[in-house]
Parts: sequence; C-alpha cells; structure tokens
Amino acid sequence: MKILVLVKQVPDTSEVKFNENGVMIREGLQSILNMFDQFAVEEALRIREKYGGEVSVMTLAPEQAKSALQKCLALGADKAYHISDRAFGGSDTLATSYALSLAIKKVGDFDLIMAGNQATDGDTGHIGPQVAQFLGIPHVSYVEKIENVEGDKVLVKSLLEDGYRMIEVKLPALLACIPPPNFEYSNPSMMGIVKAKNKPYVWLKADDIDGDKSRFGLNGSPTRVMKMYPPPKRSRGEVFTGNYNEAVKKIIDVLKEKKVIS
Amino acid sequence: MLDFTFTEEQEMIRESVRDFAQRKIAPIAMEMEKTKQIPEDVIQGMAELGLIAPTVSTKYGGQGFDAVTAGIIAEELSRADPTGSIPVFYLVQASWGHVFNKYGTEEAKQEILPNVTKGKWFLGIATTESDAGSDVLGTRTTIRKEGDHYIVNGEKMYISGVREAYTRGGGHITIAKQFPDRGAKGMTMFYLPLQQKGIIPTYVDDLGREGISTGGFTIDNVSIPKHYLVGEEGKGFYIVHEGYEYARGLIAVICAAAGLKSLERGEKYLKERKAFGLPLAKFEALQFRLAEHYTKLSFLRLGSYWALWTYDREGQKKATRFEVSKAIAMAKMFASEWSTQAIDEVMQWQGAFGYTRECTDQAAWRAIRSFAWAEGSKEIMRVIVARELLGKEYTAYK
Repeated sequence: MKILVLVKQVPDTSEVKFNENGVMIREGLQSILNMFDQFAVEEALRIREKYGGEVSVMTLAPEQAKSALQKCLALGADKAYHISDRAFGGSDTLATSYALSLAIKKVGDFDLIMAGNQATDGDTGHIGPQVAQFLGIPHVSYVEKIENVEGDKVLVKSLLEDGYRMIEVKLPALLACIPPPNFEYSNPSMMGIVKAKNKPYVWLKADDIDGDKSRFGLNGSPTRVMKMYPPPKRSRGEVFTGNYNEAVKKIIDVLKEKKVIS
Repeated sequence: MLDFTFTEEQEMIRESVRDFAQRKIAPIAMEMEKTKQIPEDVIQGMAELGLIAPTVSTKYGGQGFDAVTAGIIAEELSRADPTGSIPVFYLVQASWGHVFNKYGTEEAKQEILPNVTKGKWFLGIATTESDAGSDVLGTRTTIRKEGDHYIVNGEKMYISGVREAYTRGGGHITIAKQFPDRGAKGMTMFYLPLQQKGIIPTYVDDLGREGISTGGFTIDNVSIPKHYLVGEEGKGFYIVHEGYEYARGLIAVICAAAGLKSLERGEKYLKERKAFGLPLAKFEALQFRLAEHYTKLSFLRLGSYWALWTYDREGQKKATRFEVSKAIAMAKMFASEWSTQAIDEVMQWQGAFGYTRECTDQAAWRAIRSFAWAEGSKEIMRVIVARELLGKEYTAYK
C-alpha cells in the first residue's frame, strides 16, 4: 500500500506568549512537527508494518521546514517531498490545498493519503478535506483509529461530538487524523536519525507541478487575516467543596440565583 | 577555521534525546533518590531509542557514535536528571562499551554487547580497590592463566552498578595484576560477569547518584574463559586509561550541563522571589555571581566538547594519545568544582529551602561532587597536564 502523509511545521505553542497588541511573540519559539501530523505519520507507519508498502511525507513550506520532514523520515517514513518556492508565499488553506493536490497528482498514485486533522497554529482543519476535494477522492475527518484495511476498503473510527462512528471508505481516500487523548508520541531513535539522511528527499518548485499559477500563493488566497488576538481571559470560577450533597445544593442555589434554572 | 556548530544529524539527536529525557526522566528523577533504582520503563525507553552504549558499533546493537555525539546524549540526560543516576548509568556503559567494542574478542562482543545495548545487562568498570584508585599499579587483585582459562582472586570497591550487574546480568571490565614484576606491563583487563559462584557483592551508602548502586565485590577463585580478555595480556594498564579518558570527557559535559541547568532554575527563582520589595534578580551582587558561574560553565561546556572532539581526532590519526590525555584532563580538572560552586550558589539564593531535600539543586550538588574524584581525581588531572607540559621525567612518582 502506498501511503502519503501531509505534514506541517508549526511553532511550539505549548508556552505561547502574546505582546500588548495581541500578536504572538515568535522569538524564541521553536518549530516542531504538528502533533496531529505526527500522529498521522505514526498511524501510517503502523499500517505499513501490518500490511506492507511505503510511506511518503509531503509538506508545502519554506526551507526551514526540512527538519519536520527529516523527523518523519527518522520516525520511519521512506521518502519526503518538500514543495518550496517563493510563488507559494502567503498561501491560505485554499491555495495550499490546491498546490498540494497538484504535487500529489504529479508524484504518484497513492492508495491512502493521511493528514493531521488540523494544525496547532491555524487550527482550521481545512487542508485535508480541501485536498481530497481537489483530488476528487472521499475523505473522513476526525479519524482517531484505522481499524482495518481490506482490499480497496479501509475501516476507520471517526469521532463525533457525542461519540464516534465506524466508517468504511473506498480507497483511494484521505483521512484527517486526530490523536486520542492517551496518545504518547514517539521520539526518533538514534538509528532512525542516522538512516534518515540517506532516504530520498525530493524538492519541488512551482514549475515542477502543473497548474494555474494565478491560484498559487497570495494571489490564489481569498482569505485575509484582519486581526489576531487572544481570547479574553476567563475567571477561574467558583469551586464548591464539602460533601457531595451539600456541594450540589450550593451549586443549585447559585444557578437559581443567577436565573440559569428556576 | 573554527566552527562551533554541531551537524544537522547531531542537532536531531539532541532534539530527540532532550524531548525523551524531559518527558520520561525529568518527572521521575527525584523519586530515584527514594527508590534507589532507575525505573525499568526508563531503561527500556533508553534502549529503544538507542541511548545505551551508543558508542558500540551497529553490528552489536549500538549506534557507532563518536565521542562528541556521545557527549550530546550525556548533556541532555544530565539536564534532565539532577540526581546524576541516569548520567552515571549512561556514561559508564558508553565509555566502557567503547573500550569493549575496540578491544574485546569477537566471541565476547557477540555474546555480551547486544544484551547491554538492549538494556538487559549492565556493563561497568571495576578497577578501584580499597587501597588503589588513581594509582592503578597498586591493584592487588590477581589473574593467572590456567590451561585455556584464567583464575581471578581479589576484591574491588567503590564500583558503580554492582547491584545492576549482579541482579540484571552483565558484569564489569576488570583489571588485575598478571605479572607482578613487570609494572605497568603486568596488568591485564578482562570481562568479569558478576552472576557467578565466587563473586560476593557488597554495597555502600553513597551521598548522591542514588538511583544507581555503588559497591564492591570479592572475587574468590573465579574462572573466566580466555575470550573474556579485553586486549592482550599485559596491556590492561594502557587500555584502562583510554576508557577513563572517554569517561572523563563525558563527565566534564555532564558537570557543565548539571551546573547550567541549576543556574536556569536559579534565574527563574531570582526573578520570582522578592526581598525588600524587589525581585532578587535586581540585586547586582547576585547578578554578578550568576554571570560569573554562567561564563565559567559555558567555557567548561565548550572545553568538554573540544576534549571529546580531540578524542575523536585520535581515531582519525589527527591527534596523539598524549594530546588526548591532556585535553581530557584539562576539561575534567575544574568540571566538578565549577559546577558544584554554581549549584551551591543557587542553593544559597534559595535560603533555607535550598538546604532541604525538597530542593532539586541539593541532589545535583551531591551528584556532581562525586566527579571530583570519580574516573580520576581532580588532583590526578593536574598531574597529567603538568606531565604533558614538563615531560615524564618530572613526574613525582618516578
């Protein structure tokens, strides 16, 4: 089975800070592989281990994102595609998805395309579904687990707000993956890191992928970011202690007082 | 031209080890002071990542890493474990794994090293005795050839990882006197498995590094096969110093890392804690101390990597054995002292809390203090540097 995983390098936002204008302070922030994508890569590697095949990874990003792709190779992926060109500068999710879909068509037939459900910086969740739409293949979002692959069908567990559903989807398809709460990501092994440098690493420019260049980069991006700001801080709330019945009674009293319930 | 950058691959190694160490080791590090052992899942995690004896060649399950790369791993483990237990567990096996890989017999390497790199067995070093430490020629343990095997008698003391090798499996590269009248050329090195008849372990209650045992063992008429020899008969004295130099280089990195990490904790504290209405960080007396310790430890860190780099250059025939000895001795000479001084300062900033066992820095102080003598005392480091500057004829022991 030929699998392609779409990945993105993101700022490590575990300790993010904003300046007085609400703009994220990027100085000192390290760049890391988007955690949703790492989960997708690790799922892809598990499928390869079980069913055989090859796992490739792809990103559309400036050169410095190479370390994210190298990490994927060190984790065990077989091949990397790095799409990088000034022409893609300022791409929103639509232009990015368009370019990614062109590159995917260009580099080969994949049975399964995977991606993180969203990236921890933009958090849009657009890329996976949009790429699938451009490629004309089915997609499933919020995929927490790939249960089974049989013939040209794959059975996946997709999360819903109040539960989950099991979906069987025909290949080729795109799965946008979300790590389960207990997901413990892997660190690349020393041997994996050493081997990574000898794996195929393919650079792609705008000229290497056929398509309408007016749809690349800023020109192809209808989205405009007007302002970014952190959400207002919320107070901690009141904690009711004591025994269970007393605490519940106090909560009911407060809710009645505030006319939430009558 | 000078170039102080690590390779892209080494940076990836650092990132992976740092992430692992901060997630899996840092949160449990202080617990090891009570449990007196390294958790099994940490050992297995290290083995899966390839962090146990990575200096061993890939043929025997290692990574074939050079000394600088081994130093990067040591640095990250030291930053994560203030108790020094895992750094010791690491450095001993990395250094002596390197020696075994270089001088061990093919049969012994195939039998032993894969078990070490998989985290099943422990590989240590046993040279010290009650009356012989840095003075290796004072060794009383004897080895004699008998047919196709050797018989060993004696006692070793203040050895790291005795319980680990005795309970998990594995053993220690050991030095003994084979030809008493030949001086340095009469010493022989060999691998001694601890799980066997004739070995009786004993343990000491160390001041620090409590997650890994220190102890000794008596060796009573123990027979070892000839393929357990590490190097040729009579070459032990020279080989043991090669191993010690590797370990000393790693120790220097470990000391710098522990001190710098302690200063990071100290910086945070200075900004948070107020006295007389001001954060402690505002007081210049403390600023100066921070700047001085940071500068000394940063130079120590650079010097340590330079020494390990020199070690690697010997393997490329670009540096002599003596240049390596001097560089390594220079790196280790002040390592423990400067690091413990910095940690001591951070403890002082924290006042009474710094004197409690709740304080992380006191554990680091106790661990790093051991490196003033471990794998060669700071006094011996001075002897080595002076010897290389003045010539052997001026050594006091000749």
